[in-house]
Amino acid sequence: MSSWLDYTINGLIVGNVYALVAVGLALIFGVSRLINFAQGSIYLVGAYIGWVAVVQLHTPLPVTIIFVAVAAALVGLIIERFGLRPLQNSVRIAPLLATIGISFVLDQLVMLTFSPNPRALPSQLPDVRFQVGGGTIGPLDLLIAGVGISSALLLFVFLRYSKLGWAVRAASQDRDAAMQMGVDVNRVNQAVFGIAAALGGVSGLLVGMYYNQIDTAMSLQATLKGVVAEVVGGAGNVPGAVVGSLLLGLVESYGVAVFGTSYRNLFAFLLLVLVLVLRPNGLFASARQAPPEPLTGTFIAPSRPVRIPRWALAVAVAVFAILPLLPVSFYVLQTLINAWLLGMLALSLTLVAGTIGQVSLGHAALLAIGAYTSALLSLTLAVPVGLAIIAGGLMSAALGTILISPSFRLRGHYVSIATLAIGEIVSLVILNWESVTRGPIGISGIPPLSLFGYDLISATSVYWFSFAVMVALALLQARLLSSHLGRSFRAIRDDDIAARAYGLSLNRYKSLAFIFGGFAAGVSGGIAAHLYSYINHETFNTQQSILALTVVILGGLGNVVGAVVGAVALVGLPEVFRIAAEYRILIYGIVLLLLVRFRPQGLLGTI
Amino acid sequence: MSNINRRTLVEGSLAAAIAGTALSRRTFADTTDPILLGVSGPLTGPNAQYGTQWKQGFDLALDEIMAAGGINGRKLAYTFEDSQSDPRQSVAIAQKFVSDPRIVMELGDFSSPASMAASPIYQRGGLVQFGFTNSHPDFTKGGDFMWSTSVSQADEQPLLAAYAVKKLGLKKLAVLHLNTDWGRTSRDYFSKAAKEYGAEIVVTEGYIAEERDFRSTLVRVRDANPDGLVLISYYSDGALIARQARQVGLKQVICAASSVYSPKFIELGGDAVEDVHVGTRYFPEDPRPEVQKFIAGFKKKYNGLEPDAFNAYSYDAMNMAAAVLKIGGTDRRAIRDAFAKVKDVPSVIFGAATFDVATRRVKGAMNAELVVRKGQFALWDGKPT
Repeated sequence: MSSWLDYTINGLIVGNVYALVAVGLALIFGVSRLINFAQGSIYLVGAYIGWVAVVQLHTPLPVTIIFVAVAAALVGLIIERFGLRPLQNSVRIAPLLATIGISFVLDQLVMLTFSPNPRALPSQLPDVRFQVGGGTIGPLDLLIAGVGISSALLLFVFLRYSKLGWAVRAASQDRDAAMQMGVDVNRVNQAVFGIAAALGGVSGLLVGMYYNQIDTAMSLQATLKGVVAEVVGGAGNVPGAVVGSLLLGLVESYGVAVFGTSYRNLFAFLLLVLVLVLRPNGLFASARQAPPEPLTGTFIAPSRPVRIPRWALAVAVAVFAILPLLPVSFYVLQTLINAWLLGMLALSLTLVAGTIGQVSLGHAALLAIGAYTSALLSLTLAVPVGLAIIAGGLMSAALGTILISPSFRLRGHYVSIATLAIGEIVSLVILNWESVTRGPIGISGIPPLSLFGYDLISATSVYWFSFAVMVALALLQARLLSSHLGRSFRAIRDDDIAARAYGLSLNRYKSLAFIFGGFAAGVSGGIAAHLYSYINHETFNTQQSILALTVVILGGLGNVVGAVVGAVALVGLPEVFRIAAEYRILIYGIVLLLLVRFRPQGLLGTI
Repeated sequence: MSNINRRTLVEGSLAAAIAGTALSRRTFADTTDPILLGVSGPLTGPNAQYGTQWKQGFDLALDEIMAAGGINGRKLAYTFEDSQSDPRQSVAIAQKFVSDPRIVMELGDFSSPASMAASPIYQRGGLVQFGFTNSHPDFTKGGDFMWSTSVSQADEQPLLAAYAVKKLGLKKLAVLHLNTDWGRTSRDYFSKAAKEYGAEIVVTEGYIAEERDFRSTLVRVRDANPDGLVLISYYSDGALIARQARQVGLKQVICAASSVYSPKFIELGGDAVEDVHVGTRYFPEDPRPEVQKFIAGFKKKYNGLEPDAFNAYSYDAMNMAAAVLKIGGTDRRAIRDAFAKVKDVPSVIFGAATFDVATRRVKGAMNAELVVRKGQFALWDGKPT
């Protein structure tokens, strides 16, 4: 029994670590209704500034903390001023994407400055340990807990009792009304970003000291766990973020205790989905909170889509169709094959995110389901590859819709968080369900693409095959969107209350959209599996989901042609910058930021 | 070889004289441009550190190869394409390399999904894919153009098991492993061998690569009451586990696979990795000249930096590639056939390395039994800790 005390203590300790990130996220969400995906990168920057202070400048701990807090706050102010403020009148999704772009840029800058090798960040506290239960805790554990809880308390007091705090709350409830009352909203935003960034930086420092280790890949994981903790607690609720973090830590720890280490993150994300389903605003959402935003009507930019004449599209399709007959290298064809596969995924996402308003951050899971289904059917049951791919598409449609259906009743940012969690859950189930998926070993020796008994091996034939499939899916989708069904989808997106009042069954229409979208994504995953011949649980990861979302926003939400154009652009850009080696992700991030800044409705506009 | 040089020189100057600069450059390309290897590996993304370490090993090996006269008098160079160890990018890179006539051989990629996704393209394109970190058992089954100097875990893990069970006398073992294809394969080989030597595996815990917090895992380990912990980890997670094991009060002997062998393991682990036992493929005090040359050269080139296992893999891989090219020339098919012909190539990891034609891997990794003493790796003196 004594072990349960240890599991509890360990859960609380790691929960404290999560709280450091979650509090900053909650503060920013509270004011700008923005999930700041760059918070993890500020945490990374804080850790490396801390390393400079500790290892090179030999500053004592209080000075180190102040130094890191001030430097990180400066980074936060710069992000707010130059990255986000110019976007305040554009679509809601724009700042979200901008924070993703900013995180690319910050991570890469740190990596280029400090090299990707992990470094030791020694703790500046004495290494004494107190016996608690079967284990020990040290001064750093207590300091982390102290910083997490006291910063939450201070913020709570600040928001409730100080004048600037009132302004912050006013701005978060109704930006325009606050401005009319004379609140300088920009000043408020700046203050919030500065405080959140200082917290984020200090948390990177403390966590680095706690593990005696910092590396440039730590930011995404921190963001993921921080977002989960924050949403569990109730987005925007600062004390809730602390409680949510502790709860997350405990659930993970008890999950390890009962089921073993490899299930750890599975329980974290299941907790998130459960909380979202039972209490869509988090555990500590107050009844007086402003009503959640209408679905994603606000995500959609007011724009006139670029209408591309039919003959131009036909010419473009013809040009791409005869491309392999022209003297182009296999490398170009292969890059375009990647673009067509990403295009199918983007078609799927642009339908559910753009047309019906369910922003999905876990779309790679649909690829994975299709890929595993098709690979296993063809490998173990000798199903012909063509049929196996179709079966993969159907399985993604069915399973994906069932898995994502709990998110149908959620709104706004919660939809994307829930789908993010569902994506992670699928990946972790694949990792752990060894009897079917072969677990971490993955599936190798997947037969190549074939059609009517003929193997499609050369880049040329794979190119034609994937291009034809994508064009077929695109035509089908265009037909769907111009039908009555497509208009119903858009009605739900633009105003779900009005649509419901008109008699549309939201769940049924959302299911229909996911069934079609799931099929396209599953087919894409199936083709990829036969193309790669080896897949494992990491082949289709969160980064794929983020890439897919970037593609559809770049192309224009709901825009079929835009999805394909976006896919070609985003597969092509990193290839074009391949020459820049270490700098290419940096350049990619900057290009993304510029696009969001100057063309937030996407290249071709939203339909 | 001198006649080739003379002939090309004549051809080159003729062409230059006749056809002007553009054409002459093309003609020169055949012979005075370096022999080019393509490297597909991570320079950005979560595995970027390994790509950086590869480069260090490659560059050192290239310096030495050049100093010794290059490949039969020609220069050797590589072009490093960043794949982020992502299968989508590694397949595009594969097409690029296959269709680039200057590339004679490919090295990499880092992870199994990225490498094995590209294998069919290399196989069909007839370009050798030389993987030197690809321990997935199916990697070399991709075709006869797939060769690897990645140590087969079937070779290495029984040696670690012998160290832990026979030498250190550990009878009840807890195994913590990275839950990847590598960690999983290694664990299976280790457990099988350990059981054969008479030990019992009381608990096995797999963790994902991003994991940082192991305290609850270690409580599970403690409750299983082992007398030794075995880490099948890389150096960064291995150091984290060792630190947290000591923090939660575990005092058992810790043994670790060779993949933790890095100065970084000690830097990141601090006092907690003192007395950790490591089975490794090379260590700095190994008197073999290949090892001493490698370490001295590495420290000299990189301002006193200590090399680690990944530096050694890439260094060996480049030397192996050079040895193959010396026999195989620049024809892609001849290069594939040359892999079967190279014999006893001096290497850090294997001593005299020769490929086993049946598996297309090198057999017989060197093994040294080390222990961390006073913040340094040292040969184990036979005394239990």
